Amino acid sequence: MHYHYATPAFDCGHSRRSPPEIKSKLVSVAGSDSLLQMAALIQPGVIQLDETATKESLATPWNVVVHNDPINLMTYVTMVFQRVFGYPRSKAEKHMIEVHQRGRSIVWSGGREQAEHYVHQLQSYQLLTTLEKSEP
Amino acid sequence: MNPLRVRAVDEKHIRISGIPPLLVFCLRELPHILEKRDTPDARARLFPSPTTLAGKPALTRDDEKINNDWEQIIVPELRHLFVTSGETVARDLVNLEEESAETHSGRVMFAAVHLNAWMSAINEARLILGELFNVTEQDMNREDLDIEDTKQFAVLKIGALGWLLGHLIAFATGESSADDEPTTDEAGGMP
Repeated sequence: MHYHYATPAFDCGHSRRSPPEIKSKLVSVAGSDSLLQMAALIQPGVIQLDETATKESLATPWNVVVHNDPINLMTYVTMVFQRVFGYPRSKAEKHMIEVHQRGRSIVWSGGREQAEHYVHQLQSYQLLTTLEKSEP
Repeated sequence: MNPLRVRAVDEKHIRISGIPPLLVFCLRELPHILEKRDTPDARARLFPSPTTLAGKPALTRDDEKINNDWEQIIVPELRHLFVTSGETVARDLVNLEEESAETHSGRVMFAAVHLNAWMSAINEARLILGELFNVTEQDMNREDLDIEDTKQFAVLKIGALGWLLGHLIAFATGESSADDEPTTDEAGGMP
């Protein structure tokens, strides 16, 4: 795998990286259809793709879901939501309580690439986070 | 015994003082706990596949693609971040010293830029302990913990580390001051 990422020494991955950085890293690894799709988006014409399928895939909203676990502190989860999404404390607490009481909370919905970015960020804070296609 | 405090010594340094003996023990053990991040249960919790959770119906081809990409690209990066944080804290813990010979409390000073590494490493250690001992919400709510029982002792360590983490969060979010004790809600008081 030809992949290299220089990590700031003490950053813990908690800085906000922009989606294009994630994309560029994904493109750097070959051998996957979805990665090839992304490569095609950057270099149109190099790889032939089903344009309709690609547009549909990009248009489908994806949910970023945070799941409850018995260990993470409520204050920690709230802080992470504030840092990652820039949510005001009240909104961050609302999602935290939803995670705690209902077992999960959809903390963000939107394009797949940005959703993957947020899942990456939340997992870097060790929150139990997954990605799912939004129900139509 | 002096209460636990997290304070800025100056613009570039933070000191944790009044660390009770149990927490000193937990901090000294922290690097050893973090070494267990690659045990199967801990790994599944720290590096979950983004489209997979227990109880979910069968994966779609899309899900499998995302998970494979994740395992190849993101997981090594996350692991590197966690390892780096753990190593940073381990180096800082060399400076953990006795504050009071009478109470055996401790104190430690570290660079302010390491604060995120501290929160990450402590949180990771709690999660690892939770997975290694299959700790549930019920376990976390127990008050009558028997330190002779390895699982209950692990719960006690998770609580002690959570207590410190709560103080660090309060410091990081500007909710504690030199004169105020931060609230750490579910972490509760130091056992």
